[in-house]
Amino acid sequence: MSITPVQRPGKAAPWLNLGPRVRISSLLASTLPALISVGVLIALQADFMAVLITFFLPLQLLAGALAGFFSYGRKGIMDGLLLVTTFFFASFVLVLLVSVIWSVVQSGFAALSPQFIFQNNRYITGKTGLEIGGVGHAILGSVSIVGLTTLVAVPLGVFTAVYLTETRDGARGLIRTLLQAMSGLPSVVAGLFIYSMLIVSGFTTRVGIAGSLALIPLMLPTIARVAEEALRLVPVELRNGALALGAPSYKAFFMVTLPAAQSGIITAVLLGVARVIGETAPLILTTLIANETNVNLFEGGMATLPTYIYNYISLGDQTSLQRAWGAALVLLLFVGVLFLLARVVAGGGVKRSRKKKEK
Amino acid sequence: MSLQSPTIQRVKLRNKPSRTADKVFFGVARAAGYSSIVIVVAILFFLSIRAWPAFEQQGILDFTFGSGWDTTTTPPTLHIGAMLWGSFLIAGIGVAFAIPMAISIAYFIEFLAPKSIAKTATVIIDLLAAIPSVVIGLWGLGVFSPTGAGWAQMINQSLGFIPIFQNESGTFLRSPFIAGIVIAVMIVPIIASITREIFSQMDKEVINGAMALGGTRESILRKVILPTSAGGILGGILLALGRAMGETVAIFFVLNLSYDEVNWLNILEPQGGAIASLILSKFGEATNDEISALLAAGVVLFIFTLIINAVASYIVAKAQPWRKA
Amino acid sequence: MMDQQFHLESKDINVWFGERHVLKNVSLQFPINQVTALIGPSGCGKSTFIRTLNRMHELIPSAGLAGAVLLNGEDIYGEAIDPVDVREKIGMVFQKPNPFPTMSIKENVLSGLKLSGRKIDNGAELVETSLRRASIWNEVKDRLGEPALSLSGGQQQRLCIARSLAMGPDVLLMDEPCSALDPGSTRRIEETILELKDSMTIVIVTHNMQQAQRVADQTAFFLSEDGDPGHVVEFGATNDIFHGPIDPRTNEYVNGRFG
Repeated sequence: MSITPVQRPGKAAPWLNLGPRVRISSLLASTLPALISVGVLIALQADFMAVLITFFLPLQLLAGALAGFFSYGRKGIMDGLLLVTTFFFASFVLVLLVSVIWSVVQSGFAALSPQFIFQNNRYITGKTGLEIGGVGHAILGSVSIVGLTTLVAVPLGVFTAVYLTETRDGARGLIRTLLQAMSGLPSVVAGLFIYSMLIVSGFTTRVGIAGSLALIPLMLPTIARVAEEALRLVPVELRNGALALGAPSYKAFFMVTLPAAQSGIITAVLLGVARVIGETAPLILTTLIANETNVNLFEGGMATLPTYIYNYISLGDQTSLQRAWGAALVLLLFVGVLFLLARVVAGGGVKRSRKKKEK
Repeated sequence: MSLQSPTIQRVKLRNKPSRTADKVFFGVARAAGYSSIVIVVAILFFLSIRAWPAFEQQGILDFTFGSGWDTTTTPPTLHIGAMLWGSFLIAGIGVAFAIPMAISIAYFIEFLAPKSIAKTATVIIDLLAAIPSVVIGLWGLGVFSPTGAGWAQMINQSLGFIPIFQNESGTFLRSPFIAGIVIAVMIVPIIASITREIFSQMDKEVINGAMALGGTRESILRKVILPTSAGGILGGILLALGRAMGETVAIFFVLNLSYDEVNWLNILEPQGGAIASLILSKFGEATNDEISALLAAGVVLFIFTLIINAVASYIVAKAQPWRKA
Repeated sequence: MMDQQFHLESKDINVWFGERHVLKNVSLQFPINQVTALIGPSGCGKSTFIRTLNRMHELIPSAGLAGAVLLNGEDIYGEAIDPVDVREKIGMVFQKPNPFPTMSIKENVLSGLKLSGRKIDNGAELVETSLRRASIWNEVKDRLGEPALSLSGGQQQRLCIARSLAMGPDVLLMDEPCSALDPGSTRRIEETILELKDSMTIVIVTHNMQQAQRVADQTAFFLSEDGDPGHVVEFGATNDIFHGPIDPRTNEYVNGRFG
């Protein structure tokens, strides 16, 4: 008897061979209700949502149940209903996402131009059109405010992660709990906190640095959590190997653990920035909005992308709303890039460590 | 022979750092760790002392549960009961809409979809979670509100005989219903990703066991998967509820605040409340009394979200003892 | 051999994972009321094979299969066959005990009926007979309402057997049912198997040579060499396989020289 491997034949999955009964009934069940509903929609000129909920959904449920029954008997009915409900709700999420992104891209694109990205709003009045003014100052403001927050929160968060992973201090449980509590902190409360601590007390006025400080409690838990996970993933043997060679703990950390956790730490920073770059409420409470470019965190008001959007939504007229959409697109691009980078870095890290393991 | 054991001198191994550099290293780490304590204590401390005048002036219970916001009286009437209830109502509506969507997509990803589609769906959820709330707010105002008002009108016309769907004002914009759906968009990803994680952590052998017993998709979901993950999902829902209550700008533009009267359940009326929106809307031209009251409102909001989050993490940790076994 | 109809029979089963060929031309016959042991070194495909017998194999995304599995002469991979029906008739006990964590002992026994939506007429009686047949009734009769996870590993595994028995299966597949258990529990499960075979066909995957000799009427030796697909080297009465194997590799394996 020969036991040499044989190539997998094209049809090596008998379970996919469902038989005409199953195939026809599921084909009908997945097309007919939609077709009939479209027909009704056109014939009655009715509202899309009304037809979807009151006509299509019941019809589709019925069709799913019938298809289940014809295919698998009584026990197929519930399966059919389950599949229809799952797909219906899951595609609803997709529709929501597409609706949000599409509207931002569509309305935002109309406002977008080179000058919109580079100019500030110094010469904007109620009557100026879209051809003058832009989000340049808001981008700079966002970068400065979030930049300072990052400068403070990243070391703080990474060392908090070090504290949680490398020490056996008794307060770790408490600190984990507090970090969790902080991650649930409503952002508006973070703004009120800085307002009550620094501004009501008269230490400072509503300037950029107050905004930066207000974002710290929002960014810190994200960085600490992701960095802790990254440090935890570094194999103990690696660390112990360095320690066994007589290296002091800090050297073992900076020369072995930290490089090994590099991509995880970068992901932590990216996710942390993505978490706060869209924060609006704390900045409204702590930083005055300005129309002019200002990168001095200690003096004068400062616009940021989210507060810019907020401001122009509040104004409410057509041009202002268009500006808001444009800024929303810019903000969304920022977030999207951060998000993509985080995925690439995290994915690359996984691949690299897997390769190492294979070797 | 006496069995008296010789006294052994217990030598404690030093796990404390010996060198100065290590001392500094661990010192810095400890300081960073303790900074969380400092921050949380500072939040509670500064908010409380600045909020105290309001609590004192209005009375803690009246302030929290009473209604009315009037600066013309002496002393001013600054009560947030209507806002507090509104926060719960809107978060509740949001969660009610989000649960079926979130659980469906989590079930789809973990148990139905082929790997590549499941991956795409996971990215979609993460992406939805990454959209800033001010952008959702803009979408809510510019795109969703008219549509949502249309839905509300249809509900009112067909189900208006049920008290909660009544509408006497004739306008369907800026209602708790619309704000709730906008909030749902924000919290679907939270519930979905937690549910997905809990599904994926389920013992696959248990599900195989159910299949080997002749379970169908539906019966396995209902009898095995959901009971096993119920605790975790509930925790995720509470976590989302806490997030929904703290959400500010996403609903600020799509909700009409009614300070003087609690809108208990008329979800289609353009009268609602939300503590976070109250803070934002009154902050600009606030008197000193109002500032203190708004800080006090922040304290109340913080305390309620803390309680909800604590309960949520307790449930997630305790509800499923078998997951650790 | 005459055109004998076996109770359960695999015909030229070939299995692929992706493009990798892992089982080749496995044709085995499982007569009624007999215990068949599948032995062989790790990775030879015996666990994969047993999962093809009740259509659990197809749940692995990259899985491929060719060949037929006949239950009473009917191919369980036929196009009009619902896998759920197959699994109701052909029960399975897994390597690791997997009782349902949220259910009590009693609910676990009845879980199969609930999952397949059957009516439960005489629940208490069915619980008792199933638990008795799995030889665990005396240990649990006073605490049927307790959670299944309060039982020890061996008891959990016998509860899983009882759970399968409550479905009234024609065939019981056991995938290394004792590998996670202590010797005492192993012995009790072996006794259970010997009692059960009067009423059903049993197929058991095992790494334990003594266990195969104690419980099995016939034995199949699987082997996969140098990355070639797994296949059956020798198949016959247990006594012959262990005491007079034809193939030298079988001889080496059963006498513990490799694997």
